[in-house]
Amino acid sequence: MSKIINSETRIPYFILLIIFIVSIYPFFYMISTSLMTAGEASNQYIFPKKLRFENYLEVWTSNRFQRYTFNSIIISSITVLGVLTTSIPAAYSFAKINFPFKNFIFYSLLLSLMIPEIITLLPHLLIIRGEIIPLPFGPSWMNSLQGLTVPFMGNIFVIFLLRQYFKKIPNELWDAARIDGSSHFNFLIKVVIPMSKPIIVTVALFTFIIAWNSFAWPLLILTRDDWYPVTVSIYSFVREVGPNFNLLMAACLIAISPILVLYFFTQKLFIESISNFGLKQ
Amino acid sequence: MKKIFIKYSNQINGYIFILPAFLIIGLFGIFPVFFGMYMSFHKWKVFKGRFLGFENYKRILGDIPAFWFFVFGLLLLILSYWIWSEFRDRFKKIYVFLISLIIFLFAIYLINLNWEKMVLTGDEDYLYSLIYTLYYSFFTIIFEVGLGLVIAFALYQKLAGKQFFQMMLLFPYITPAVMGAAVFFLIFGKAENSFLNELIGLFGFEPQLWLFDKRPISEVVFGVKIDGLFAGPSLALMSSIIYGIWSYTGYYAIILLAGLSIIPSDLYEAAKVEGASRWQTFIKITIPLLMPIIFFLMLTGFINTFQAFNSIFVMQTSSAGDTMDVVTVEIFDHFWGRVKYGYAAAEGVILFILLNVLAISQYVIFRKRLNYE
Repeated sequence: MSKIINSETRIPYFILLIIFIVSIYPFFYMISTSLMTAGEASNQYIFPKKLRFENYLEVWTSNRFQRYTFNSIIISSITVLGVLTTSIPAAYSFAKINFPFKNFIFYSLLLSLMIPEIITLLPHLLIIRGEIIPLPFGPSWMNSLQGLTVPFMGNIFVIFLLRQYFKKIPNELWDAARIDGSSHFNFLIKVVIPMSKPIIVTVALFTFIIAWNSFAWPLLILTRDDWYPVTVSIYSFVREVGPNFNLLMAACLIAISPILVLYFFTQKLFIESISNFGLKQ
Repeated sequence: MKKIFIKYSNQINGYIFILPAFLIIGLFGIFPVFFGMYMSFHKWKVFKGRFLGFENYKRILGDIPAFWFFVFGLLLLILSYWIWSEFRDRFKKIYVFLISLIIFLFAIYLINLNWEKMVLTGDEDYLYSLIYTLYYSFFTIIFEVGLGLVIAFALYQKLAGKQFFQMMLLFPYITPAVMGAAVFFLIFGKAENSFLNELIGLFGFEPQLWLFDKRPISEVVFGVKIDGLFAGPSLALMSSIIYGIWSYTGYYAIILLAGLSIIPSDLYEAAKVEGASRWQTFIKITIPLLMPIIFFLMLTGFINTFQAFNSIFVMQTSSAGDTMDVVTVEIFDHFWGRVKYGYAAAEGVILFILLNVLAISQYVIFRKRLNYE
């Protein structure tokens, strides 16, 4: 112990300890409160007298919360799949194929990063209602899965990150593959994607978290609760919570846990990519 | 025909590969800006109404020329910085300083004058929401970067358990904002016996109402009543600022730590040989080399926090009044709550213009510094 903590490291450890407590406290509060009775929770106890695990069961079975959680999982997974299927070929094309106006197209798409989400919501809403262009799969996408996912299936930031990675793949590989008669598509599937697993996992996780987070958009286009994601249901829970703080916290814990599990398995990649893109952007 | 296809197969492939992404980003990423502009010129409540011209803008800004002078003032601010950074080494410092100072003061005067004109005749709710947004951005960024630096230095000391601390630091960042805000909604509740109120009680403070308190922070802390910009955010907004700080500081710390670790170690060794103290190395080597990253984080942070929505929207309370209505909440409220689409679109366009001014300043400040990396 004395080896780890000495006069050099005492202050840094002290700082980190405080940061640790502050970062973790809300999670502790959430878990602790979720195990209390309603009375204990509204009296702001720190620990429950008896651990009430049945709170989770109550939340899980009541108020269609199960359904909302599955909705979120479906919406986020489909968004991730969609983003990957549009972004991987596009990033490959921007990184490795030469065609006229390539850079012009890339940079004008990159401009969309500058546009705040709040501005796009309103035109999105009109597009989804089918008022601007005729839509496939039905006259209107209100209250539908495609309405929740399709608008987020193109992401220039993801393309940007993938492109940076694909650029590092040596051109000789493609030359060799072309001599063997491979098409770009085959090369992409058989060589590029297997070589780029780390970055693909990372962007998939990023996209999943963003999709899981989405809140304003579902709130706008869902008038029925068939496709409510957990975020919207937690929001309405907050608005009408009354004294049931314990159940609210149980619901939050359930709603956060998929993200925490995903993060736990990919944290190393995740931290690495944040360190990198923070510097390179 | 086939020959042509083979000859251009590379290009054709290239276009086919980007087509799906291009269509979706074009339709949902870029087109909305232009359509938003189109909407802002109409009376638009659910369905399109008659053409209004600039009337929506007039109702929001009161005086449209005043807005352009205001933006011009912001650009002059950037210009004064640019002149200072570009010419201070080429001409006598004092002249450059005087010229940029004059431009700076004139810019402040223009901004102040035209802001007051706008507030007098325009939509107060919207204009104040810009100030609340400014508070939100300013306080979150100052603390995020400041605390992030402290944490990054602590982690840089080659401690045991660095991996663990890094992992734990990002927990708040990956927590979805709606759920995180729900937890903070209870932590920052008005109960007198809450953990937070007990905690500040230990330091001899009265229990506070936190998210339910619309008094400005200057009144809560110092007990003085000030009007205008310097009154500071309300205690309610401050609580949501604390949530913002909580959720992003770790992320900033990780990026700053990466910045620290690319500083070449021979610089430190050279300083040691020269007999420099720790504090001197910190001031003379670490800070200057880290400055580009700090600046970069501050400016991207500004653009990001101007768009913060989810957490603030969830933490809103009715007793906080409109003191938590940052600009995104205000816009959302106009089209979701009050169904004024055209009006909301105009508010969005104004926000877009202001964000572009921020982006220009980012470009001007980084034009040279980015080369260093």
